[in-house]
Amino acid sequence: METATSDLVKAPPVSADAAAPATPRVYKAEMPRGWWLRKRHYFLYMVREFTALPLALWLLWFLVEVQRASNGPNGYYPHSSPGFVVFSVIVLGFALYHSVTFLRLFGVVTHIKGVPSRVIVLSLFALWLVASVVVAAVLIGFAR
Amino acid sequence: MSHQTAHKQKPAFAHMVWWFLFGGGGVVSAILLPVHVLVQGILGPLGIVHVVDRHYDTWIQVLGNPIVKLYLLVLIALPFFHFAHRLRYLLVDFGLPAAKSVPAQVVFYGGAVLVSLVTIWVLLTSAPISFG
Repeated sequence: METATSDLVKAPPVSADAAAPATPRVYKAEMPRGWWLRKRHYFLYMVREFTALPLALWLLWFLVEVQRASNGPNGYYPHSSPGFVVFSVIVLGFALYHSVTFLRLFGVVTHIKGVPSRVIVLSLFALWLVASVVVAAVLIGFAR
Repeated sequence: MSHQTAHKQKPAFAHMVWWFLFGGGGVVSAILLPVHVLVQGILGPLGIVHVVDRHYDTWIQVLGNPIVKLYLLVLIALPFFHFAHRLRYLLVDFGLPAAKSVPAQVVFYGGAVLVSLVTIWVLLTSAPISFG
C-alpha cells in the first residue's frame, strides 16, 4: 500500500522529460467552423452575444437624431423612413432577447444573502416593466 | 508575500472596473432600450402615438434638461462597454483568437470610450442647457 502511493507521486520518468520540447506547449482549442450551428443551445448562445451589434447600431442612429436637434427648427427631422421602422422592429426582437437573457443571468449571478435568485430575477423583471412604463409616459407625455 | 499580493491586486481592480461597466451596460440596455426602440423607432414614426422627438420644439425642450442629458449619456454610452466585450468574444467564438489580444481590447474598449466622448459632445452641443 505504502509503495503504491509513493509510486503515484514519483517524478515522471526521465524519458518523458527528454521528449518534452524546449518551449512550453500552448493548448490551442480547435473549434470547427459552424460549431454554433450544431446545437440549438449553441445557436441561441451566439444569438445572445450577437444582440450587441443591432443594439449598438440603433443607439448610434438614435444619437444621430439627438445631434440633428442642433440643426434648428427648420433643419431638424426625426427618423421616419419605412426602412428605419423595419430596422427598429428587427432591433426590438434582439433587444427583448437581450433583456430576457441578461436579466435572468444577472439575477442568477447576483448573490444577496437570504434572498433566493428567483426573487432577484423577478424583481429585475418588475423593474424592467416599471422603467418601460415611466419612459414611455415621458416620451409620449411631453409630446404634442 | 505581501508584495506579491499587492502586485496581484492591480489587474483585479481593472477587471472590477470593466466588469462593472459590462454589467451596468447590460442592465441599462436590458431595462431601458426596448421601450425606446418600440416608442421612438416604431410607434412614433408610424404615427400611432405622439412622441416627443417627432417635433423640434418638444424635442429641443426635453434635450435641454440636464437630467435628460445625464440620462441619455447613461442610456447611449454605458451599453457600449457591454457591447464591446460581447462583440470581442463573439469574434473569439467565431474562431478569431486575436480578438483576445491587447490591441483588440484597446480597439473595442477604446471604441466604447470614443462613443462616450462623442455622446457627451453631442449632448452638450445639440441643445443648450435649460431648466425650464
